[in-house]
Amino acid sequence: MLRSDAWMRRALALGATASLVLAACGGGGPSATPAPPGETTAPGETTGPEPTPGDEAKRGGKVTILSFNEEFDDMDPQRVYTGEDLAFFGATIMRSLTSFVYSEDPEVANTVTGDLAVDAGQPNADATEWSFTLRDGLTWEDGSELTCEDVKYGVSRTFANDVITNGPTYAIAYLDIPGPSDADAEAGWLSAYHGPYDGTGQELFDQAVSCNGKTITFKLKQPIADFNMTVTLGFSPVPESKDTGEQYTTRPFSNGPYKIEEYTTGNGGHLLLTRNENWNPESDPIRKAYPDEWEVLFGIDVKVIDQRIIESQGDDAYTLMYSAVQPENLATVFDSPTQPKPEFADRAVSDFDPYARYYWIDTNKIPNVKHRQAIGVALDREAIRNNSGGEYAGELGDGVIKPNLGNQYAPTGLWDGLLGQPIPDNGDPEYAKQLIAESGEPMPSITWDYPQTPVRDQEAAIVIDSLSKAGINVQANPIPGGQYYGIVFNDDQAHEFGWAGWGPDWPNASTIIGPLFTDEGGWNLSRVHDQDFLDGVKDALTELDPAVQAKKWQDLNKLAMERMYVVPTTFGLTQVIAGTGVAPTYQWAPYGSWAYAEIYRKPAQ
Amino acid sequence: MRQPETLRQDHRVAPEPYLTVNDLRVKFPTEDGLVSAVDGVSFSVTRGRTLAIVGESGSGKSVTALAIMGLLDRKSAQVSGEVWLDNQELLEMSDAAVRKLRGSKMAMIFQDPMSSLHPFYRVGAQLAEAAMIHRKLTRQQARAEAIEMLARVGIPAPKRRVDDYPHQLSGGMRQRVMIAMALINSPALLIADEPTTALDVTVQAQILDLIGQLQSEFNTAVIIITHDLGIVADVADEVAVMYAARIVERASTETLYGSPEMPYTLGLLASIPRMDRERTDRLDPIPGNPPSPLRHPDGCVFHPRCKYKDRVPGERCFTERPELLESERDHLVRCHLPAEERRSIAREVLSTSVGGGAVAVLGGVDGTTSSAQVAPVGGPA
Amino acid sequence: MAGYITRRFLGMILLLFLLTLTVFFLFNMLPADPARLSCGKACSPQIVENNRHRLELDIPPIEQYQRFISGLFFGRTYLADTKRPIECEAPCLGYSFLRNSDVLSLITRSVPATFWLAVGGFVVWMAIGLTFGIISALKRGKWQDRTIMGIALLGYSLPSFFIGLVLLFTVVLWLHLLPSPQWVDPFKDPVRFLQTMILPWITIAILNAAFYMRLTRNQVLEVFGDDYIRTARAKGLPERTVVVKHALRAGLTPIVTAAGLDLAYLLGGAIITENIYSLPGLGSLAVNSVIASDLPIITAITLITAAIIIVANLVVDLLYAVIDPRVRIS
Repeated sequence: MLRSDAWMRRALALGATASLVLAACGGGGPSATPAPPGETTAPGETTGPEPTPGDEAKRGGKVTILSFNEEFDDMDPQRVYTGEDLAFFGATIMRSLTSFVYSEDPEVANTVTGDLAVDAGQPNADATEWSFTLRDGLTWEDGSELTCEDVKYGVSRTFANDVITNGPTYAIAYLDIPGPSDADAEAGWLSAYHGPYDGTGQELFDQAVSCNGKTITFKLKQPIADFNMTVTLGFSPVPESKDTGEQYTTRPFSNGPYKIEEYTTGNGGHLLLTRNENWNPESDPIRKAYPDEWEVLFGIDVKVIDQRIIESQGDDAYTLMYSAVQPENLATVFDSPTQPKPEFADRAVSDFDPYARYYWIDTNKIPNVKHRQAIGVALDREAIRNNSGGEYAGELGDGVIKPNLGNQYAPTGLWDGLLGQPIPDNGDPEYAKQLIAESGEPMPSITWDYPQTPVRDQEAAIVIDSLSKAGINVQANPIPGGQYYGIVFNDDQAHEFGWAGWGPDWPNASTIIGPLFTDEGGWNLSRVHDQDFLDGVKDALTELDPAVQAKKWQDLNKLAMERMYVVPTTFGLTQVIAGTGVAPTYQWAPYGSWAYAEIYRKPAQ
Repeated sequence: MRQPETLRQDHRVAPEPYLTVNDLRVKFPTEDGLVSAVDGVSFSVTRGRTLAIVGESGSGKSVTALAIMGLLDRKSAQVSGEVWLDNQELLEMSDAAVRKLRGSKMAMIFQDPMSSLHPFYRVGAQLAEAAMIHRKLTRQQARAEAIEMLARVGIPAPKRRVDDYPHQLSGGMRQRVMIAMALINSPALLIADEPTTALDVTVQAQILDLIGQLQSEFNTAVIIITHDLGIVADVADEVAVMYAARIVERASTETLYGSPEMPYTLGLLASIPRMDRERTDRLDPIPGNPPSPLRHPDGCVFHPRCKYKDRVPGERCFTERPELLESERDHLVRCHLPAEERRSIAREVLSTSVGGGAVAVLGGVDGTTSSAQVAPVGGPA
Repeated sequence: MAGYITRRFLGMILLLFLLTLTVFFLFNMLPADPARLSCGKACSPQIVENNRHRLELDIPPIEQYQRFISGLFFGRTYLADTKRPIECEAPCLGYSFLRNSDVLSLITRSVPATFWLAVGGFVVWMAIGLTFGIISALKRGKWQDRTIMGIALLGYSLPSFFIGLVLLFTVVLWLHLLPSPQWVDPFKDPVRFLQTMILPWITIAILNAAFYMRLTRNQVLEVFGDDYIRTARAKGLPERTVVVKHALRAGLTPIVTAAGLDLAYLLGGAIITENIYSLPGLGSLAVNSVIASDLPIITAITLITAAIIIVANLVVDLLYAVIDPRVRIS
């Protein structure tokens, strides 16, 4: 779900604290398990494991979220596209047909269940058609009934790519609607259907998405085995009468347990959510909705956020961070990247974030696989991780699928012999030279593109230094923030290889392997066009047995590594901390976020 | 005023002095050592009478005035001796008590009327402020008094001028304003420090006339401080000549001009420009410069510049500091020369240079500002 | 005097006009392309072109300027040729597509925090600066003077983010003397307002008071040597009157100049202080807009800040006349 331009914006907004982003996204550390609340108690601690209070005792009060951002990128259900936002709005104002399950166990949390729909959806035999039946008693914040037409209308908005920008586009990719005509494509449309505002191609959409009473049916271009996960993203309803187009993102209409009371952006601004009295708890098995109010405070200095939550004085006890713990405070809170200090055991978490960091290599510009392998072999990955924060930044990656994706991850053995012999973490320039010699062609001079920050300037030096030890001539090309992806996606402006990061949109490697290595996926920086690989992706996508599909993703991940479409660098770790008065504090696996739907204020002692 | 005991017995006994200064000494500690600015000065002034203190720049005459007014910063100036004003000793009094006397019983006007008036306040307000600080007056009363005072010092259209700012007035007018401000509380002592130096020659006489006229009106004791003996003759009853922090000769104006005795006084008289000569064409200027205030010469402080020191037997002029002694009744002189010798030298000098002792009153202005070189002026400067 | 004010006022209008021209064309020549920046990952040239049209960047700059100026007086309509036009009423300072809001309301929302921060900070620093500057002058060379000037030097040399963070961390986060700052309307919750603003005011005051302590001390000392101060003492005025009414008044001109302009700069937004204390002011709006290359907001804030400074200059000049009669009566 990594929307990288959003991350770029965050990194920029942080300015000098860019290292934070790196620390948060940098690499892979030892597999960290969230500290289960109450599981361990420090010696001498008097409180001991807290008994879980009853439902009534959990209700009430306000939970505050401290954010260094100045606003939300988007609140429009068709435009929200960063993990923490999806989790927060999903738990409060924005329901979808299905939802991931709230559980501390990642295996459980990464499964979907019915939300607006009574169940997790019904596919036809070849998974080219999916139906979802809405529950009874669904309402909007004004008390009006939430209908199947509202869901359909919401989905249609994704096609209005002139107005609804920056959101997930799976509806366009998967629904059985023809692509744009040449003239449409020329005009910037992504589909033959232009969305509800323009209206062109409405009949095409009506054929693909249909309502029958409370049941909505989606016809797909191809079999999609996990389409019921796809609908967690951008498939939320919007009532047509309330749609304000471009403006909707500042005041979406709620169907969740809360509604927007006040929203002011900028430094000192806030988002205040109060109870939606017209939300029917009977219709919602997911959201506990314990607090009476949620308030997100914008523009708080990251250092201040850390300090307020660490101290947890007064109302700050009922506070969550929307950022990560700053590097300088890690030693205060953690004994090691896996172990919080005893006094923080029940509220500090160090866990994988959803993102894998990697260097893409353009297979058009470097078609010789031995050349690509030489780059990966020579690279000093240890130095790169250390540069971005060391073991708190994460652990060294062996692919683009991270271990927190459950059974879809299997070690690729990339550095343990997949390339012919084990490769040390700090690179093996001699073996890289050997690979170049075996390639039968001279190694071309190459340039590394990267979005410029002070930390990445140092990373560029490491890249140049380690590759030149293998006799590879490398130059670095810093690109101003905000323009990076625009440039590297442009074939004329991109160089041979560059920096990137990606996280799955939902816990299925289909949202990793697909986007990263196929043109349809939209993130094919490596320009992969190997037919056998593309066939493999298609095969895996249409596989309906999850266990078999998982194995296929594992194999494709390994194949991509062997062919060195990308050089994986780090599996990022993130450290977060909550105030003393909120629980539960586990990180919810689907988005690596707080479990907003279950958060409550601990009753006063 | 308390009635003197002698009045019953002898009506001709002089009235008691309003101001008496006894053995006044002022020292300024500096990085280079102790500067003795005033060294054992004594004099007194009676109401209605005028004392002129004459001397070159740095002779200590302005410091003497500031010491009397209590305008020297006690932290940077060591003042000793006695200053009796209306039977109150000022040096022993607290700053606050002296402040209450300033502007009420004693007042002072300064050399440069432009810079001595606050440029941002109307002249009326500055006058009224002076009145209101010492007396319980309403703003209207104070303003009425200010207008009246402006009229008395000869400012035309005072009702209009009261609202003028200092920069709207001419130099002479400003000095009249200064005088009005000094006299608004009818002080019994007025000290005028070079009151005419900064003014046009034609205005100088008017201002001096005005001071004299107001003096008789208010029965004020006046001290005029000047470097210019020429302007003194008409206005002063008594003259004290200062040189290097000390009074070197003191006598009635008549005596001092008619039969001066101290060679320094002679030098000053001889250097008064005469009406029939070009101004710059000074006769017999005193050769040499005043001594450094840091280190006064041993013996007679004037001896390095004295033409007549050879006439004193032995080394006395070089080793022994002369006392201020009475040469004749009410005529004090600080000189080792025998009295007869001094008088004959005086006759000799005056007959050749000034012409039979006839003093030219309208003296020139040599352009030096005597008080400018006197260091600290009360308070942190 | 009336003629002078009229002349200055007309000059000011002309200056503001030239300013809009300069700012507008300057920003138009910036290399940042707003049309490209608001384009996602699937950025085809056509989308950029569409964006350009939406943002009205596809018309000649001179016409953009005309629309901008006429918008100021008569309002304007964005996306006029679409189904969802956006009305921007006069005075229309522009429309931010990034924030989906007209610029004026964004700025209006940011003004109160900046205004109260600036004015409150100004009052605090002037009170501290003048008081301690005078004390320092009166105790020249004494330990009081040396202490005050030492502190002034320290305050002068500390960066504002350092002062701000130290204050925030000690007072709020460690000692818990105040609740965490959160901007509220002063008329709705005056107590919370004061609790929030006291540290920002002190932060700004420390920075500026240091300068004003030194300036006041030097001005008073310089004036102390002047003859009219001696006159004031000769009148028998108490020392306090001498210092405040005579010395300070005479030395006020440079202080007023500096204070007027400092206040004006502050009214344009105190970026660092606003950020540390999470105040929704113009400074943070400006910074975020620069980061996001949100040209309409940058243009408007630049214009407003410049206008404030121009007005402040005029006010300062008029204050001269109030202070110094030699200026107004010649």
